[in-house]
Amino acid sequence: MFTEVQGPTTTAAAAVVVGPAGPRARRRPRSAWLPYLYILPAVALLLVWTYWPLVQTAGLSLQDWNLIPTKPKTFVGVEKYQKVLSLPELHQALANTVAYILAFLGISVALPVLFALLSRRVQGRARTFYQALIFVPFLVTPVATSAVWRWLFAPESGTIPAIATTLGTPMGNIFRDPDSSMLSIVVIVGWQMLGFGVLVVSAGLAGISPDYSAAASIDGASQRQITWRIVLPLLSPSLVFLALMTILLSAQWTYPIIDLVTQGGPGNSSTNIYYLLYQFGFRNFDAGLSSAAGMLFFAGFGIVAVIFVELSEKLSFHDN
Amino acid sequence: MGRLVLSQLSRSFKDVTAVDNISLVVEDGDFLVLLGPSGCGKTTLLRMIAGLLEPTSGTLELDGLDITDLPSRHRDLAMVFQSYALYPHLSVAKNLAFPLTVRRTNRHDVSRRVAEVADMVDIAHLLERKPRELSGGQRQRVAVARALVREPKAFLMDEPLSNLDAKLRTATRQELAALHRRLGATFVYVTHDQVEAMTMATKIALLNGGRLEQVGTPDELYDRPASVFAAGFMGSPATNLLDARLSSSNGAITVMAPGVEAVLWEGETPEREIVLGIRPEHLSLHAPGSVAAAPTSGAALRGVVELCENLGREQLVHCRVGAHRIGVTCPREQRWEEGAVVVLGASTEHLHLFDRATGRRLEWRAEPPLTQHAAPNEPALSV
Repeated sequence: MFTEVQGPTTTAAAAVVVGPAGPRARRRPRSAWLPYLYILPAVALLLVWTYWPLVQTAGLSLQDWNLIPTKPKTFVGVEKYQKVLSLPELHQALANTVAYILAFLGISVALPVLFALLSRRVQGRARTFYQALIFVPFLVTPVATSAVWRWLFAPESGTIPAIATTLGTPMGNIFRDPDSSMLSIVVIVGWQMLGFGVLVVSAGLAGISPDYSAAASIDGASQRQITWRIVLPLLSPSLVFLALMTILLSAQWTYPIIDLVTQGGPGNSSTNIYYLLYQFGFRNFDAGLSSAAGMLFFAGFGIVAVIFVELSEKLSFHDN
Repeated sequence: MGRLVLSQLSRSFKDVTAVDNISLVVEDGDFLVLLGPSGCGKTTLLRMIAGLLEPTSGTLELDGLDITDLPSRHRDLAMVFQSYALYPHLSVAKNLAFPLTVRRTNRHDVSRRVAEVADMVDIAHLLERKPRELSGGQRQRVAVARALVREPKAFLMDEPLSNLDAKLRTATRQELAALHRRLGATFVYVTHDQVEAMTMATKIALLNGGRLEQVGTPDELYDRPASVFAAGFMGSPATNLLDARLSSSNGAITVMAPGVEAVLWEGETPEREIVLGIRPEHLSLHAPGSVAAAPTSGAALRGVVELCENLGREQLVHCRVGAHRIGVTCPREQRWEEGAVVVLGASTEHLHLFDRATGRRLEWRAEPPLTQHAAPNEPALSV
């Protein structure tokens, strides 16, 4: 007669269940609210500094108020939205912002890719040194940056106009010329932002296994083919992230420089949407107009952000 | 065709010499396995052949052409990486097509070749998937297929089975060996796994510390290890190695060590410090006083059983002999108590002798001179 050999699971499993179940059951009630406690500080800060002001801004955008606490706020509906959309200053600021973004996409996305790819040819410690050199401007505060560049571009005694004069192309005061004021902002902010781009791109490149390039070169690909067909596609998630950062933050990055160097002038030629928003609110004391503009920008950038997040989801490859 | 000639190839990283003066010929159609422990320089050597690393000195020839300074893309080789290096943004089909499209092969030939190799390694149903959607075994197949898609002069493989589980590794091993037979192409295969080396290779190059220890067929490496290292590396459980003294008495060559006595054959030899190597499967266990325990030739080791390990198919009995612990494999039906006094016997043809100073194998040549004295690092008695 055969008897079946029993597996060890039945008794062992019973033992396992009986053992830890006791203490775990006792611990459960406390662990239910504990996780929420952990995230509470972050949530509280977000609520206080981001979401509550957002709600207030949305409220203000429907009201007429001149920021004086004793003056009453009057509800005006979407009137402020209609007004802000019809203002020529807003159209100019929007056009400028788009121009700034395009310029910075070049400076803080395209140029860093070029620099990072080139600096890969430098080996060892020298490479770190080069990258540090490019990154350092990012750490300088915008106020100091503006001061230094104002000296460099000073029409009477500045180094750059002096060189330009020697070369036979006197440049005058570029901050006071409507044709060049925006360019000067692009140069100053671009100089600061380049390092950030190089940092992100270098980190992205470092995350790509060198095996892919090695495999491609044995497969017969030239350096050019490896860059275009292997490295850049694998780098694209980093590039999407960098482009998103550039689009969302370039208006903020330019704000302090605009304020310190040109105040948006001459004649709004170098202003951008955030600077305009600031002017509406704190120069013209029109809280409703400023808030309406702010809400519109929030919605616009929100849509851009969603598109990019979707894009980066699609592009991200799980390196294994 | 694919005949590789490595001449005095070396590679140093700062002050570490990873590959030290290696000369080796890989004949067309060879399955050469570069075998050795971690850090022995086998992968460095393979990467130099692939053109991914420049040699510090030495030359490389492929079919008579000096390729030492040729960039890897012009070498006409294919490689399977340990990580497989499947391009993660491309589908399997595009991964397979990559070596062809970068060479501007026409589209019709590309799709024909891709379909052929996909059939060959049985991945035709995976062509539209991305690498991340594949299992480890499937990725390995795709990597092999990508190497096969061109017809390169030689295939280089860097531990391609190390990321697979044991069962899959055995199956894939057999498939790779079959593939080699079918293609008749030259393979250079890096592994630290002696089973892979023994089963697949037509020729094994055993490396240690950047140097070649032995080059030969799997049989040669196993049956006549050329050095103490080769004897210790090949075989599992490992070869027993013990210090002994070679001499002659009463017209016979003898090997003596505490607890060890061996009478080899007739002859005369000056005394010599040696290392005696005996594989566990070539030893037999006897109770002292039994007839088999007193052989007329071969080696007899007297020891005490310390531990018996059940290996499933057999058992490994560890015995203390002098200062050494000697492993013996024997059928599990034999019962040996711990602490029992035993005699371990081995026949003469299973004794491996190595010079203690150089670590090289000593072989006996009957006719004069009885013992040749050789150059310090290359004894005449060595292989």
